[in-house]
Amino acid sequence: MKMSQNSSGKDDQASGSKKPISLPISRVRLIMKSSPDVSSINQDALFLTTKATELFVQHLALSSFNNGSGKETNSLSYSDLANTAQETETFHFLTDILPKKILAQDYLNSLEQMQEEEGADY
Amino acid sequence: MDGDSSTTDASQLGITGEYMASSHYVLQPQEDDGDENLNDHEDGSSKENYREQDIYLPIANVARIMKNAVPQTGKIAKDAKECVQECVSEFISFITSELYLQKFREAMKGEKGMAGVTVGEGLSEDLSEDSFTNPLPAGIITADGQQQNVMVYTTSYQQIPTVQQIQFS
Repeated sequence: MKMSQNSSGKDDQASGSKKPISLPISRVRLIMKSSPDVSSINQDALFLTTKATELFVQHLALSSFNNGSGKETNSLSYSDLANTAQETETFHFLTDILPKKILAQDYLNSLEQMQEEEGADY
Repeated sequence: MDGDSSTTDASQLGITGEYMASSHYVLQPQEDDGDENLNDHEDGSSKENYREQDIYLPIANVARIMKNAVPQTGKIAKDAKECVQECVSEFISFITSELYLQKFREAMKGEKGMAGVTVGEGLSEDLSEDSFTNPLPAGIITADGQQQNVMVYTTSYQQIPTVQQIQFS
């Protein structure tokens, strides 16, 4: 199996056409090793996980952009990501770390409303 | 392992969701728009106090991949980059611990050492809804035709032509 035919330089201008991956494999291995059950990691699995991670970033960024208001504003914001995580089933596993943000004032207002509705038996 | 983090029902996730109907929220201090005062450091950030110091991939690489994925984007918010950074680490941990090892244990229940069962995932541009939530199809990579106890991933992405996918019934 041929891996990393090209030397890993940092000089490719095109979007990933020369180098196979653009993420540091050693760092990916570190993260994988932080799982308690993992003892050793096969080199191929590591490479493919890195590649899969790259695809994941692309998929997440593109989905969030298309899903959100990016098309008008031509930008990607945190709320685009949070919305995509909640609405797209593929990204449901991210909802824990991508909560939606609201202003504290709005939160307190909603809390008051809910308490009123429930009879304020607090 | 209970697989407790494999629920996909958003209303059951998170401890801060008890005040709100379906989703959970993070309080954001009231400040002017566009003023992101989040720090720009690689590992660890104390944004949420129930998350310990995590290892992240370098934000420059992550940001570059994002930019290349969405070429028409003029600007990516800094906190968007940071949170994708965290999502990436979460993704790697998720795959490694949850799906990967569950399938391995399932498969190794009956066989002792001989069967090479691996976990594969289909990753293509049009991911189906269940890609990350359902059990993954299995595939093997064999070096010289022998079945080996090798656990690797196979993907259906075209840029990896060196990987063969063999269905194991």
